[in-house]
Amino acid sequence: MATTTKQKVGWGSANVLVVLVAVIPILWIVSLSFKDPASVNDGSFWPTKWTWDNYSGIFDTSEFTRALINSIGIAVISTFIAVVFASMAAYAIARLDFPGKNVLIGMALLIAMFPAISLVTPLFNIERNLGLFDTWAGLIIPYITFGLPLAIYTLSAFFREIPWELEKAAKMDGATPFQAFTKVIAPLAAPGMFTTAILVFILCWNDFLYAISLTSTTRARTVPAAIGFFSGSSQFTAPTGSIAAASVIITIPIIVFVLLFQRRIVAGLTSGAVKG
Amino acid sequence: MHASRGYRPVALFAVVAIVALSLAACSSGSSSAAPTLNFYLYPDNSPATQKAVDNCNAAAGGAYTIKYQKLPKGADGQRQQMVRRLAAKDSSMDILGLDVTWAPEFAAAGWILEWTGDNKAKVTDGTLAGPLATATYQDKLWAAPFNSNTQLLWYRSDLVPTPPTTWDQMIQMSEQLAQQGKPHLIEIQGNQYEGITVWFNTLLASAGGSVLNEAGDAPAMGQPAVEALQVMHDLATSVAADPSLSVQQEDDNRLAMEAGTAAFELNYPFVYPSMKKDDPQMFQNFKWAPYPGVKGGEPSKVTIGGINLAVSSYSKHPDAAFAATLCLRDSENQKIGAIEGGVPPSLAALYDDPELDEAYPFRQEIRDSLANAAVRPLTPAYQNLSIVISHAVSPPDAIDPPKTEQKMTDQLSDALQSKGLVP
Amino acid sequence: MTVTTAPDIDLRDGTAPTPARPKAKLSEGARAERRLGWLLCAPAVVIMVAVAAYPIIYSVWLSLQRYDLRFPDQAKFIGLENYGAVLSSPYWWAALRNTVIITIISVVIELVLGMGLAIVMHRTLFTRGLVRTSVLLPYGIVTVVAAFSWQYAWTPKVGYLSGLTGDSAPLVNHAQAMAVIILAEVWKTTPFMALLLMAGLALVPEDLQKAAKVDGASAWQRFTHVTLPLMKPAILVALLFRTLDAFRIFDNIFILTAGGHDTGSVSILGYDNLFTALNLGVGSAISVLIFICVAVIGFLFIKGFGTSAPGSEMRR
Repeated sequence: MATTTKQKVGWGSANVLVVLVAVIPILWIVSLSFKDPASVNDGSFWPTKWTWDNYSGIFDTSEFTRALINSIGIAVISTFIAVVFASMAAYAIARLDFPGKNVLIGMALLIAMFPAISLVTPLFNIERNLGLFDTWAGLIIPYITFGLPLAIYTLSAFFREIPWELEKAAKMDGATPFQAFTKVIAPLAAPGMFTTAILVFILCWNDFLYAISLTSTTRARTVPAAIGFFSGSSQFTAPTGSIAAASVIITIPIIVFVLLFQRRIVAGLTSGAVKG
Repeated sequence: MHASRGYRPVALFAVVAIVALSLAACSSGSSSAAPTLNFYLYPDNSPATQKAVDNCNAAAGGAYTIKYQKLPKGADGQRQQMVRRLAAKDSSMDILGLDVTWAPEFAAAGWILEWTGDNKAKVTDGTLAGPLATATYQDKLWAAPFNSNTQLLWYRSDLVPTPPTTWDQMIQMSEQLAQQGKPHLIEIQGNQYEGITVWFNTLLASAGGSVLNEAGDAPAMGQPAVEALQVMHDLATSVAADPSLSVQQEDDNRLAMEAGTAAFELNYPFVYPSMKKDDPQMFQNFKWAPYPGVKGGEPSKVTIGGINLAVSSYSKHPDAAFAATLCLRDSENQKIGAIEGGVPPSLAALYDDPELDEAYPFRQEIRDSLANAAVRPLTPAYQNLSIVISHAVSPPDAIDPPKTEQKMTDQLSDALQSKGLVP
Repeated sequence: MTVTTAPDIDLRDGTAPTPARPKAKLSEGARAERRLGWLLCAPAVVIMVAVAAYPIIYSVWLSLQRYDLRFPDQAKFIGLENYGAVLSSPYWWAALRNTVIITIISVVIELVLGMGLAIVMHRTLFTRGLVRTSVLLPYGIVTVVAAFSWQYAWTPKVGYLSGLTGDSAPLVNHAQAMAVIILAEVWKTTPFMALLLMAGLALVPEDLQKAAKVDGASAWQRFTHVTLPLMKPAILVALLFRTLDAFRIFDNIFILTAGGHDTGSVSILGYDNLFTALNLGVGSAISVLIFICVAVIGFLFIKGFGTSAPGSEMRR
């Protein structure tokens, strides 16, 4: 149907408003990252003196680069495993009948609700005894554990809404079980899975408490924890520029991740829709 | 087959777990002939700490190798990391950089080793009284003072011809400046954190009192505390108070001073090189004086900060650790720390060293302050006391001196026995 | 008859799993379904139990002890005394009050804004990719960094927002500090709501919307009578998790005010007692109490949303 000018203007202004509100505080961080340390607090939004020093400074040592690698590796692996496990469990919850379903859901919620500050020290003790302290696995395993409840819940909610009759219809049309699944069900499940993947990824990417408590060297330290090790020119000076530069850099993978997957969230629905 | 479909995820999980665990095992430490001593300290932006470590490794001649491991920037983060690992009897920490308030706590918990005999003599020889007091608990020495820090009064000589010697004088001067429409604020740390505890402790000691009694098992407080609280209240309710006082920390004070709104500042010496770099114009009139007292005629007793070095009880090489610590804090390395690291030394003799002239034209004031310092309460329960104090006196304009003193005394009693909740 | 190639998940035929013959024992099909269900859940269950069981149980056990980390030898069992100490302490109630206020206000705002954002993200006519990515950005920034950004923004003479409240800093006054904290929370996590709600929106079939339009329903009516009911599961997940998280707010308060001006939340209270005062008994008791509060909230939500909860009723 043709879109009227009024509609275009309406949506256009909505777009602009939304983007501005979301992005201005971020632009402020970007601006801080380009500000010369002496002019950090001259009250202007944009830097009066632009400098790349903050960015070059954080790459001076290999610490930050190492932290970036750790973050990316740990978050990707945790997200992948968590989404796989959660998909299986959510499928079972949404479609199969078996005792203990409510226990599982309750347990997942219990884990999501218990305050992390109390869990950190016992986890630390376990990991130390198992030799997992300060390793990738030492962070991946807790991240999977604490990402699973959200993932299971989100995926269950999605899977429940999928019309499973389509599968039967496809098979009646002559498709093999595998084809039925990949061509009909998977596209419908994709929005939920990518939404969950984004949420779990951000959870792992941004976590600070476990990262700072379960690591001690650059071997496994991720970026949010590494920021806590940035030092300013004195013990009292906050390294604002470096922190801002580091934040900009660690937000870039999120932007990439989201840009890549945001289309898939709704793409699945334009194919294989229910007819009649 | 059909069954494999169901088992596949379990197998996948097992593989992942095995791989992860093997990776972990492979990355465990290697054994070497000369012991490696792990030295845990705050992250130093300057090359000073690494230089000290290199010097000592060279001097050790292969007896041991010190490795500098960084802790988080904030004191709280450092303490958490160390406490967590010490409570788990982690043997991979050898030399610990402790904030001056932690020695009694770590000592009472059995986490650090006592300094005795020859080692002790080497530490006490030549170290200023203030820093040494912070490392002493129940008449035993638990750590070797490394660097120190104290606050001075910084003021603008173009606005203030002669610096004040008491807080009341300073507030009066500020009011006069305000009437003349000139910059008049007094910058001090008023946020609800350790900094305001330091301020309160300084005022209390300067008024002749102390938080705890001699034995350290009950609060003292009393009239000097009421006077100290009165000073804080007076400042916070006068025109001299910065509008953001109740959220300001050391760096905020520095920024306000450099922005030109303030006439006075109570802060650590890091503001000096910063002013020099950021505002050479104002720097011409940027002068220092001893911290103002509370009672006329009596000099102030300023609460000192700094770092002490202790040896972990769970270290596998305590003797080497003691020797390494003595080297790390010796005269040469403290001088490097002072000149390149910007941290005042704890050894008295260095304050007479002309090499410190350029970086520390105010070194005599610092030295005097350190010699006549106030220390924060030396008790294992210090963190609890600190929280109680900072919550009671922040925001400073809400202080009612007699009432606040009474409330604090009651809460401090409970805090000493770790009874009840801390706010 | 049902096809007999055993637990092959692709061959569901849409009929009920209970057997046609009224036998007391389960049929082969039902048992196979159970086995499959357990198998599929096994990895998730195993890892959750293995990792979280001990810490949670240990925490609860600790809450029943008087245990100060600095004096490990003096630990002893004291039953529910810690809970008594916490519940009779004014600090707990003040923190709880703050937490409830922040939670309710921010979740309500986020739900409304999130729904609006979801609609824009889903239906806007152009630059969808840009809008969606921008909306998600606040959620992707590390929380402590965002908090620092707000703190600087509000600091007088330093930040771009400081002019809004006149001369005094907004963080020096309880009401304004709470407002700043809520603003920071809302900005940061509305994208979470928006994302889940948008995905929920996407599941509402276009045909139903068109049918309603044809029947003469206005946009608002279509929204409330067609869209919203179908979005209930997504709304439940979004609200549930968001509320649970809002109740445990920590980072924003820690950076912006450190709990000053009486803005401390229950998590900050727990942190202070557990990590700073090293009072493991009291700290764990606070954690368990936080958990109980959160569990009550969760329970109320699930009851309130009834059949939209996952697993409560299966669609055929």
